[in-house]
Amino acid sequence: MDMLQTQADTAVELRDVVREYGSGQARVRALDGVGIGFARGTWTAVMGPSGSGKSTLLHCAAGLERPTSGQVLLGDRDLAAASERDLTELRRKDIGFVFQSFNLVSSLTAEQNVALPLRLAGSKVSMTDVRAILTTVGLGDRLGHRPRELSGGQQQRVAIARAMITRPAVLFADEPTGALDSGAARTVLGLLRSMVDDAQQTIVMVTHDPAAAARADSVVFLRDGRIVDRLVRPSVREVADRLAALEA
Amino acid sequence: MFSLSIATFRERWQLFVGAILTVTLGVAIVQSSLLIVASAGGYGEAIAILGLALGVSAFLAIFIVSSTFAFTIAQRRRDLALLRLIGGSRGQVRRLLLSEALLLGVLGTVLGIPAGQIVLSAQTALLENLGFLPASFSAAWHGWILWVSLGLGIGVAQAGVLAASRRAARVRPLEALRETGAGAKVMTVSRWILGILLVVTGLTLMLVSTAVSNPNGAIPLSINAMVALALGLSALSPVIVPLIGRLTGTLAGSSTIGRLARANLRDGIRRNSSTAAPLLILVALLIGLAGTFATLSQGAHDQLTDDVRGDLVAAGPVAPLTPGVATASTEYPLMIKVTSVNQGDTETDEFPALAVDPATYQQAHQLPLIAGSYADLHGPTVAAAGGKLGSTVRIHVGDQDLNPRVVAVLPPTLNGGPEYLLPRDLVPPAALGPAQSIVRLQPGADPAAVARSLPQPVLTLDEWIAQSDSAQDSLNAGVMKVVMGLAALYAVIGVVNAVVIAAGERRREFAVARLTGFTRNQIIGTALLESTVVTVTGLLLGWLSAMAALIGISGVAGTMVIPWGAFWLTALGAFLVVGATSVWTSRSATRATPISLAGTRE
Repeated sequence: MDMLQTQADTAVELRDVVREYGSGQARVRALDGVGIGFARGTWTAVMGPSGSGKSTLLHCAAGLERPTSGQVLLGDRDLAAASERDLTELRRKDIGFVFQSFNLVSSLTAEQNVALPLRLAGSKVSMTDVRAILTTVGLGDRLGHRPRELSGGQQQRVAIARAMITRPAVLFADEPTGALDSGAARTVLGLLRSMVDDAQQTIVMVTHDPAAAARADSVVFLRDGRIVDRLVRPSVREVADRLAALEA
Repeated sequence: MFSLSIATFRERWQLFVGAILTVTLGVAIVQSSLLIVASAGGYGEAIAILGLALGVSAFLAIFIVSSTFAFTIAQRRRDLALLRLIGGSRGQVRRLLLSEALLLGVLGTVLGIPAGQIVLSAQTALLENLGFLPASFSAAWHGWILWVSLGLGIGVAQAGVLAASRRAARVRPLEALRETGAGAKVMTVSRWILGILLVVTGLTLMLVSTAVSNPNGAIPLSINAMVALALGLSALSPVIVPLIGRLTGTLAGSSTIGRLARANLRDGIRRNSSTAAPLLILVALLIGLAGTFATLSQGAHDQLTDDVRGDLVAAGPVAPLTPGVATASTEYPLMIKVTSVNQGDTETDEFPALAVDPATYQQAHQLPLIAGSYADLHGPTVAAAGGKLGSTVRIHVGDQDLNPRVVAVLPPTLNGGPEYLLPRDLVPPAALGPAQSIVRLQPGADPAAVARSLPQPVLTLDEWIAQSDSAQDSLNAGVMKVVMGLAALYAVIGVVNAVVIAAGERRREFAVARLTGFTRNQIIGTALLESTVVTVTGLLLGWLSAMAALIGISGVAGTMVIPWGAFWLTALGAFLVVGATSVWTSRSATRATPISLAGTRE
C-alpha cells in the first residue's frame, strides 16, 4: 500500500491544498500545502494533535469546505471549483459520511433514516436493499426503532448503513468511535474493516484513538497543517508512540 | 419530502403548537368577520369595526407564524444542515419547510372553521351589545366561506414561512458538525437593511402625516407609520435588547443572578428578540390605535370648543327676536349624496351636511374659512370641507339634483362633523332633519329664564359638547374593545410560544449552570430577570412605535393624547404573562437532575 499511486487507483486526491481562516492579524493557516492521494479500496486514518488540521483536511477532501488554494480531485472532478449544485449531486452519489455524534434524523426510524439519502436523490427506494444493509450491520431486528430507542453503538451502525446505501466512492468518517464504549467501538471498526476487505470500499477516517487508527491500512500524521509522517499497517503501540512524539 | 415533514411534525409538535393556534385564530376571526360583513349590509359602523379586526388579524397571524418559524428554524439548523450533508438540495430544504407550513396551515384551518362559528356568535353578541347591530341580527352561512378560510389558513402559513425557508436553504452542510446549532448570525446584512429601511419609512410617513391637513389622509398615514416603525424596530431588536439589557442589568448590580442574566441577554439574542417582538407589536397596536382615537376625539372636542360661540343649544328653530337672545343660528343636520367624477369614474357617497342661515351661522361659528366667504353663501351655492373654490359639485338632496358652486372652503372636520354647508332655502323642507339652534344670550339675560322659552330640551353649550363627545367615544370604545382583545390574544400566543420554545432549548444550558454551582432558585431567578428585561424592551419599543402614530395624527388633530391607562394595563399584563410563563418553563426545564441533562445534545 504505497502512497504513490497512479491516478486511476486514487479515489480522492488533494493537491497542494491550503486552507486559511480569518483575515489580517487573525489569519490562521489550518492546512499548509497538503498533497495526498487516498487509494481506492484502502482505509486511511488521519491523526494529529488538536489543531493540527485533521478535521479541515477531511472537510476539504469531502467538499464541505472550499480550500483557499489548491485542488481536490474526486475522480476527474475538482471539488474546489465545483458549484453548490454539483456538490449536492456529489453528496448524493459519491460521498458518504459517518460522524462522532451519529447525526441521525431523530424523527425517523432506522429504516427511514437509511432510506433518506435515496429519497433525497429521487432514486427508487428498494426496501429490500435497506433491510439487507441494516442486517449487514447487525440491526435486522431494529428496523422500526427511532434513534433514541437505540444505543450509541447501534445508532452509529445505522449511520454507517445510511452512508453505505448509495454505494459511495469514498466514505468519510470523523471520529466514528469517539462517542462509543470500547465494545461498541470494536464492532463499528470491525464493520468498517470488512467493508474495505469485502467490498473494496475507500475510507478516510479522522481519529485520535490509536486503537482505531491501527485497524486502518495506513496512518497519516498531521502537525500544524502539514503531513509530517506516515505509517503502513502499524500496531497500536507504534501509532501511540508516534502520536506522543508529535504532541511533545 | 412530505413524509419527512409529517415525521418532523410528530416529533416536534411543541414547536408548532403556537403557530397552529395562531392560524386557527386567524381563520376563525376572518371567517366570522366576513360572514357578518356579508349579512350586515346597512350597518356601516359594524362593518368598519370588522374591517379593522380583519386587517389586524391577518397581519398578526402572518407576523406570529413567521417569527415562530424563524425561531424554530434557528433551532433546527443542525437538522437541516444534516439533510444537506446527506444529499439534500437547497430546494429540498425549502420544500420541506413549505410542506411543514402546508400541514400547519391545513391543521389550523380544520380547527379554525368550527372555531369560527364560536367566534361568530361571540362577535355578534359583542356588536349587538355595543349597539352596532340590531338584537335580532344573525349572519347567514355561505358555502364559499370554507374556500376563503382554507385559502387564508394555508396562505398565512405559507406567507409566514417564506422568508425563513429561504434563509434555511442557505444553511451549509458543515453546520451539522458544529456542536451548537446557534452558529448562525442573528443580525444578517439583509436584516440590518430591512430594519433600517422600515424605520426610515416609518419616520418619513410620520413626518408626511403631520403635514397632511385632512384626517382621511392623516389617519392611514400615521397608522402605517406606526406599523412600519414597529416592524423595523422588531427587525433591529437583536441589537437593541442587549443594549437595554446592559442598562437595566447595571441596575441589578453585580449580584450573581444579575451578572448571569446580563451575560445571557447578550448570548440569547434570537431567543430574546423572539419574545420581545410580539409584545412590541401588541403595544404598538394597542397604544397606537387607542391613542389615535383618543387624540382624534380630543381634537374634535377642541375643534368644537374653538368653533362654537354660544351659551345654549335648543332642540328646534329659534325666532330671531326671542327675548334675551342676542343671536341664534338654527341648523338642520341632513345627509346628502355627492357625486364626484374622478378620471372618468363617477362615485356617489353620502356625507353629513348642515342647512344653515349664513348670516347667523357665522356669528355662532368662529373657525376661519380656508377660502371664500360666508357672504356668498346664497342661492345655488355650497361651503365644502376640502373642496375647490369656484368648482361645482353634483349633490342629491331630498329628491332634487343640484349643481351648486363652492363659494367657501371649510377646514377639515375630525370625526364625522358636517362636510357641507348649504343655504337653508336651497334644501327642500322635507329633507331637513330636526333643527338645533346655537343661542347666544343678550348681556345680563337670565339663562334659565331664556331656556324655558326655547324649544325643549335645551342644553348648555358644555353639556351639548359633552353629548357629542360621548357619541363619538362609544364608537371608539367599541372599536378598541374588539381590536385590543384580538391583538392581546395573538400577543399572548406569540409570547408564551416563544418562551416555551426557548426554555426547551435551554435545558442543557440551565443544567450546566447548576453543575457550576447555581441553585435551582437562582436559575429561575435569572430566567425571570432576563424575561423582565425583555418585557421592558418590548414595551419600550412598542411605545416608541405607537408614538409615531400619535405624532403623525397630532398635526391634523392639533393635540396629542397618550393613553397611559391602556399602556400601564398592557404593561402589567405583559409582566404577569411573561413572568409566569418564564418561571413555569424554567421550573420544568430544571426538574430533572442536572447531570442527566448536561451531556445531552439539543
